[in-house]
Amino acid sequence: MQSVIKRDGQKVEFNLHRIETAVSRAMDSVANADAALLTHLCTEIEIKLSKKPALDIQEIQRTVEETLIEHQLTDVARAYISYRKSRDIERERRSSLNEEIKSLLMQSNDDLLNENANKDANVIPTQRDLLAGIVARHYAKAHILSEQIVTAHESGAIHYHDLDYAPFFPMFNCMLVDLKGMLCNGFKMGNAEIASPKSIMTATNVTAQIIAQVASHIYGGTTIDRIDEVLEPYVTLSYEKHLAMAGQWNIPDQEGYAHAQIERECYDAFQALEYEVNTLHTSNGQTPFVTFGFGLGKSWQAKLIQQSILNVRIDGLGKNKKTAVFPKLVFAIKKGINQQPEDPNYDIKQLALECASQRMYPDILNYDQVVEKTGSFKTPMGCRSFLGKYEHEGTELHAGRNNLGVVSLNLPRIALQANGNVELFFEQLQQQLLICKEALMSRIERLQKVKAKIAPILYMEGACGVRLKAEDNISELFKNGRASISLGYIGIHETINALFGDDAHLFDDPQRQQVAVEIVKTLKAAVDLWTQQTGYGFSLYSTPSENLCTRFCKIDQKEFGSIKGVTDKGYYTNSFHLDVEKKVNPYDKIDFEQPYPAIASGGFICYGEYPNMRHNLKALEDIWDYSYNRVPYYGTNTPIDECYSCGYQGEFDCTSKGFSCPSCGNKENDKMSVTRRVCGYLGSPNARPFNAGKQEEVIRRVKHLENS
Amino acid sequence: MNYHAYHSLDVVNGEGTRCTLFVSGCEHKCKGCYNASTWSLMNGHPFTRALEDQIIRDLSDTRIKRQGLSLSGGDPLHPANLTAVLQLVQRVRAECPGKDIWCWTGYKLASLTEQQQHVVQYIDVLIDGKFIEAQKQPNLAWRGSSNQQIHYLSQTERALA
Ligand code: SF4
Ligand SMILES: [Zn+2]
Repeated sequence: MQSVIKRDGQKVEFNLHRIETAVSRAMDSVANADAALLTHLCTEIEIKLSKKPALDIQEIQRTVEETLIEHQLTDVARAYISYRKSRDIERERRSSLNEEIKSLLMQSNDDLLNENANKDANVIPTQRDLLAGIVARHYAKAHILSEQIVTAHESGAIHYHDLDYAPFFPMFNCMLVDLKGMLCNGFKMGNAEIASPKSIMTATNVTAQIIAQVASHIYGGTTIDRIDEVLEPYVTLSYEKHLAMAGQWNIPDQEGYAHAQIERECYDAFQALEYEVNTLHTSNGQTPFVTFGFGLGKSWQAKLIQQSILNVRIDGLGKNKKTAVFPKLVFAIKKGINQQPEDPNYDIKQLALECASQRMYPDILNYDQVVEKTGSFKTPMGCRSFLGKYEHEGTELHAGRNNLGVVSLNLPRIALQANGNVELFFEQLQQQLLICKEALMSRIERLQKVKAKIAPILYMEGACGVRLKAEDNISELFKNGRASISLGYIGIHETINALFGDDAHLFDDPQRQQVAVEIVKTLKAAVDLWTQQTGYGFSLYSTPSENLCTRFCKIDQKEFGSIKGVTDKGYYTNSFHLDVEKKVNPYDKIDFEQPYPAIASGGFICYGEYPNMRHNLKALEDIWDYSYNRVPYYGTNTPIDECYSCGYQGEFDCTSKGFSCPSCGNKENDKMSVTRRVCGYLGSPNARPFNAGKQEEVIRRVKHLENS
Repeated sequence: MNYHAYHSLDVVNGEGTRCTLFVSGCEHKCKGCYNASTWSLMNGHPFTRALEDQIIRDLSDTRIKRQGLSLSGGDPLHPANLTAVLQLVQRVRAECPGKDIWCWTGYKLASLTEQQQHVVQYIDVLIDGKFIEAQKQPNLAWRGSSNQQIHYLSQTERALA
């Protein structure tokens, strides 16, 4: 009996039965089953093979193919080849699954470990989560998603975000929690019945519990919209309690006493909430991406909450007064409330400026711009995902709504393939959009027929704004624009360079800018069409891409080589953002980015890079005011690093190896606080490193107002 | 006069959003000076009428509002710079109403010459004193070392201070 050398070098006995199965399958698949013919073919193959001195898999396959073709069985041959190919892919996947698991075990894959700046891959819960992610991703690719989608994803044409969660699990991305409904009406969590809180302290406590639960059931950001207004009734309850207490004890200035008490309680309540959020570890193995939106409340209670949130943040976390990176704070600015010196809450805007100069957050939402560009006012979900306008029984509804997930398009790749031909680029873009739609529909598909009991906190206890029964279907919740589902895109800057060369900069060339806007408009037209066709709320989202900026670029670099201004930097630029290396002042940067939020209304943010602004809140206010009539959502990045060795405050030097203090040279990660923005969220890259591409991007960022 | 650099948009040299001119020429030669290349009167580029016009234009910009002009260096009150600086601050006063002028100098306010005082009467905020490395403090507002002082000279600035 002959032996065969397998791919991995192992020797096994020759087994004709295997060939018979494969050929028989191929014949079946082209409706050409013929037992006699099959036997005949197999005998012939066996004879041929027996004459060969050594056998390996390739040799066997070649012989089978030859024999089939000699018998004019072209269809069968084709089927056999494609069957074999899919077996190859399957095998490859299985071995890459093993590889990934092994690298997790050995802690040897930096990309995997540093994938998310928010996950500490050194600890067991995170490793369990990463393991689940590896398996979920492989299973989805092998058994849930169509081959076309998988190929598009793997080749770097598109990115099917969060494959480690969905579609394996019927999970969605991010949401605005209906905190108000949950607190007013009470809810059940695990075995505990939670009644409506009777004080602000209890209310923030329960809020932390809700956030922890919700964040474990979704993979994207958890946002509380208008938290100052949602929680103001509980400030009143606390105040009344203090007032009653003052009466009971015959305190002379009863109102004065109650005010002093409530101020303290409110501060403590929000400090506790901030601690909770920063120490939370969801079952996803990460600190949840939590965002608080606030600023529009006008009552003294709401104002006190606004002050508490900002003062807690300014004061810092723990012994070193470190900058808290969660929750993300988003402060709403509106004329008549807090924008102008004569507005009643102008003092809160000043406090927000102080906070931003010291702690980077809050970012700001310019009320009128948000309404104008997205249809209604609301805080973004996660770092930048905006819901559209949606009405329920005649009133605008935001709380309880969500985003179903994102699939992003690699625009620079299409441009590289089109090789400078703009017309061809737009043609191929349409092709790629079809795949994106299919991929997004697969997300929707996965949520069909799912029952509420899969995530009681979301669907039965009110986080999604409804109280369904365990066996109820959840899919209705996502229809008619109640939820959004997003097409993302990466690298407008590199796309333009790939199309036109990098001898001129997009920023300096109005003609190129026109094409850039045209591209984003084309994407917008596609999502609008899909909305019309399906009734689902498709939106266009400007992808932040923590890992994606590296992944796409790496893949394209391999295929197209290092192309100046496109693949040579090792990362692609976020969505429509200005190239981080371009030195322009923040005013001009706002003007440059201004057209995009209206088009990509499903997700956007604009930033400026600033020097230390602690001593110049006026200048910071100037830029906030400038943004007020131009962009809906603005963030100011300023150096807020701190050295615990020498006391230096400012910006640490950033190299590919890590961070160091410019004043004393300190390189010890536990003796510094380094805070950088990565794609909408703040992170502490000294504690948890960024992936290589992101680190490179951070190194290359230029200040938009550095004067030395 | 020569100048070292001009920033039409600046947020780190004085309050608010500003235009900042770094002139050449300094006789203090402080140890640890952040930029010794500004010491020589001959360094930098000639300060021209065109740049003066540019500064006036920037200060009058309605899109990006500037609070005022900052003069730094080098030393704007170096004897050799006084004529040019005087002309500049006079123009700012005349042509840019409502804009303030900040100035950094290594001389002390109390011991300025008559010509220097003549310039200073147009200045709203003067930060004076040499940079003394031993008294260096990294987190001070508008100053490098703690011996330096901020003088709010004009009425409006005093009210704000
Ligand atoms: S006064 Fe200023 S410019 Fe002159 S030497 Fe001292 S620090 Fe340098
Ligand atoms: Zn240090």
